[in-house]
Amino acid sequence: MATWQIRSWLSSTIRRVASCSVSTQAVLPKNASAAFSLIRSQPSQYIVASLAGRKYLLAPRDLLTVPHLKDVRVGDVLALQDIHEVGSRDYTLRGDPVISSSRVRVEATVVEHTKGKMEVVFKKKRRKGYQKTIKNKHPYTRLRIGSIQFSEPSHS
Amino acid sequence: MISAPTKQILRAQLRSFPANGHTAYLPNVRKIVLEFCQKLPSSTNTRTFISNDLERLAWQKPHVEFVVKQRNGHEPIARGFYVNGRDKVIPLQEFEVNGVERKVQLLLDSSGAKIKPLKKGRIVESTAEAARGIWSGLHVDTPFKI
Repeated sequence: MATWQIRSWLSSTIRRVASCSVSTQAVLPKNASAAFSLIRSQPSQYIVASLAGRKYLLAPRDLLTVPHLKDVRVGDVLALQDIHEVGSRDYTLRGDPVISSSRVRVEATVVEHTKGKMEVVFKKKRRKGYQKTIKNKHPYTRLRIGSIQFSEPSHS
Repeated sequence: MISAPTKQILRAQLRSFPANGHTAYLPNVRKIVLEFCQKLPSSTNTRTFISNDLERLAWQKPHVEFVVKQRNGHEPIARGFYVNGRDKVIPLQEFEVNGVERKVQLLLDSSGAKIKPLKKGRIVESTAEAARGIWSGLHVDTPFKI
């Protein structure tokens, strides 16, 4: 989807919500718990989390492929630390810069460590007698995303 | 009394997609077979691995069946059998003992799926419908006019 399409969709959604608020009083959530309950009330949710230095838009039951993670075995369960955004169809909650793990918890199970397909890079400089073939199989780790768990923070 | 008309349920709507690891993870590798020759020198390192390190590895992976098979006159091989019905075969004649262990570990880490390019279209493989919905050019305040 092009950026202008996303922007026009977003602005149209905001306009729709704003126009709705004139006729039917849209209730803005007062605190974070109310915001989370609004998001939970909708059928499906997504998160934007960063893993291995990159941000991904993830939903439960997704299979995520990242570059090989060391010190991780197949079958291990990892808790995603940096969750930047949680959202559903009509509502989005963005962290600053991260939503605390006491509120939203997502786990990912390591399904396998693989190597990708063989990539062949052929380099040549003509009339110089220089040519070489580089073969590379990049190692990857594949993770299965678990369900998004919302929880109330325990007040100490 | 006539009941309200119900929406037709198509058979494909009731399909479900496997998501191993979502709630519970079941390991994909079920058996590893190590084939070696008793006499040929190319099998020396494989024989050393089998006698020294294989038992420790087998104790660490109780869900995997380890089979040691003698195959005289042939090069040493590690063969992994997976739950999806495929198998991976790795020749071991070029490797040292730790190289043999690395290749057996490769078989244990794999899921048995066919090797595909994983850089572009397969970073996030999702069967879920988009949570935010799909943008439609017709359901916009000012639709595009040619």
